[in-house]
Amino acid sequence: MIELMNVRKVFNAGKANEFSALNNVSLHIPGNRITVLKGPSGSGKTTLLSIVGCMSRPTAGRVKLIDREITSLPERFLTDIRRSTFGFIFQQPNLIKGISVLENVMLPAYPLGDQRKDLCSRANQGLEQLNIVKSGSKVEWLSGGEAQRVSIVRALINNPSIIIADEPTAHLDTKLSYRFMEIVEKFKSEGKTVIITSHDPLVYDSSIIDKVITMRDGKIEDTPA
Amino acid sequence: MLSFLLLHASISRNAQTQNLQLKASLVHELGLTDLCLFTEARYTRHLSQADLYTAFQDHPLSLEHFPSGSFTEPNLSGIR
Amino acid sequence: MQSWLEKQRYIVDFTMSSLLRRKVKNIGLLVLYTLIVFILASIIFFTYAIKREAAFILQGSPEIIVQNLIAGRHDLLPVSFLDQIKSIRGVANVESRLWGYFYDSLVGANYTLLTPPSQAGSLKSDGKKTFVGSGGSDIPTPTEEKNLYEYEGAPLEPGTLIIGNGVARMRSIGKGDYMPFMAADGEIMNLKIVNTLASESELVSSDLILMHESDFRKLFGISSTYVTDAIVTVSNPSEIETVANKIKKHIHTARPIIRDEILRTYSSIFNWRGGMMIVVFSAAVLAFVIFAWDKASGLSAEERQEIGILKAVGWETSDVIRMKFWEGAVVSLTSFFSGVILAYIHVFFTGSIVFEPALKGWSNLYPNFKLTPFVNAEQLTTLFFLTVIPYTVATIVPIWRAATIDPDTAMRHTGN
Repeated sequence: MIELMNVRKVFNAGKANEFSALNNVSLHIPGNRITVLKGPSGSGKTTLLSIVGCMSRPTAGRVKLIDREITSLPERFLTDIRRSTFGFIFQQPNLIKGISVLENVMLPAYPLGDQRKDLCSRANQGLEQLNIVKSGSKVEWLSGGEAQRVSIVRALINNPSIIIADEPTAHLDTKLSYRFMEIVEKFKSEGKTVIITSHDPLVYDSSIIDKVITMRDGKIEDTPA
Repeated sequence: MLSFLLLHASISRNAQTQNLQLKASLVHELGLTDLCLFTEARYTRHLSQADLYTAFQDHPLSLEHFPSGSFTEPNLSGIR
Repeated sequence: MQSWLEKQRYIVDFTMSSLLRRKVKNIGLLVLYTLIVFILASIIFFTYAIKREAAFILQGSPEIIVQNLIAGRHDLLPVSFLDQIKSIRGVANVESRLWGYFYDSLVGANYTLLTPPSQAGSLKSDGKKTFVGSGGSDIPTPTEEKNLYEYEGAPLEPGTLIIGNGVARMRSIGKGDYMPFMAADGEIMNLKIVNTLASESELVSSDLILMHESDFRKLFGISSTYVTDAIVTVSNPSEIETVANKIKKHIHTARPIIRDEILRTYSSIFNWRGGMMIVVFSAAVLAFVIFAWDKASGLSAEERQEIGILKAVGWETSDVIRMKFWEGAVVSLTSFFSGVILAYIHVFFTGSIVFEPALKGWSNLYPNFKLTPFVNAEQLTTLFFLTVIPYTVATIVPIWRAATIDPDTAMRHTGN
């Protein structure tokens, strides 16, 4: 599904505070599986995730997505791929304040220019599935768990084949974390590929995880099957 | 919206031509030379009639004494 | 095509709801912006209208006025000069004017005292008004017989006055009242007001007091051998300048003022670069520059984060810029339209009350006038380019900078 070959990422290259976040990472992420990137903070998990998710480019190395080399594609195409292939769930819900839950959920679909009716029903359906009834209310009035679920619905609105989640349980209590893992399991049953970074044992020790990749200092330590 | 504004302008302009003509004929009959905009000093009341030194004549220190004098200018004709 | 349209609609919708989100900030912005457009538009409307009006009205003013200049001062003109001017080739007619200023200490206003030309120490060849036919072919005559200073055809008699509307307002007097003056010899003259000038003509007549020649001379103690200045009518309008030069050659102290110069005086005061424009305009532009600079120099952290989120969820740079473009366009167009309309109302319906203090200065007597709305598309275009375009550019530039950065950088800035 996704292949990284000798990927390096250097921040502030050439400056005094040069910092190498990824060093020669090569890895394969299988399709229709749940993969967890685990490791202490600062180990390069988020950087790796953002490269996989076409949010930033590697300084060196190559990235292949479904047998397609994406490293050198221009920004426009990267955005296209990102929009149609990936759904992002962030550590923070990262909802836009002041507009309604429904609008937040529909945001990623705006540039596609779908029929309004279809889009609305898709969004409402998604919200229903995750038991969110307050689709018209402002996001400020949501609880932490609700906001998280709204951001999940938003990630799914364009029906992505790969879900990327960065520390999704960091701001959730145990009960909500379990709830999140249930949702992740459902993704897999729908044929989606899931990539999660986490240093929460509740996530990487879960029985539904297919593959755990441990990272330290920008390198992969071992890859148990 | 703006064309509506322009339309209104042209309509009321037509409506006011009569007035304009009345004013023009008054100016003509009385031999008037200036608009009655600034009555505070003689060099601003009759701008076209004032010479270069009128401001100074009103008061020896009056470089620019009156507010309206600061955005009007003297008529230099017949002096140069 | 369908989806492209739908996409624009989504973006506009989102823009609208994102504008409504920061109500206080955006309403404040809108109000400030409208105010700037309002001031600029008011200036443009006012100056242009008054220029056009002055040009039209003052077409009727005398072709040449001859003043007597002594030691740099405007002095009385000896009657004997009139004959000398009359003898110059090309001069059709010479009439004298008697006018001056009167300071009314009661209300602190300056009046212009004037003797109607047909009355002043006339040196006309024949009794009729020759200048009506010769010099004034281009002067529109009122179609309707409505006299602006009616005294039933009879000349203004000694002991009577016709006053301008401004004078009547200042003193709250009118037809039938008496107005006392102290003459130069100390005698009190009690003059009867027989009429007031039409209120429509206030722009030119507000401070006028028309009186009879004998009263005028008595009031100021001017002997009958002097007049204030002279009006010269020229037989061939193309020779005005030549005649003016000849007058100067014949009478060395004479200062001829030709009509074109009068018109030029008015067009230069209310010019783009001249006088009044500079004073008010510079303040407005300065305010706008500060405002645009503030807008251009930075985005709030919140705005940055939002752009990050939008990019992360799959918006392209161009979508983000388009959204911000709409945002700028909505704000600036709304302000533009409301500012222009308010300015139109202000200038042409309320008589420019905002500018009144500036125009009034220290004068107590100020004319009540209604300007004729001379407005054209060119003015509106100028205004548009002065306000809407710079603002829109100022909003887009910083967004463009923010929107081109990697989405994950935008996220990291604020997210984790």
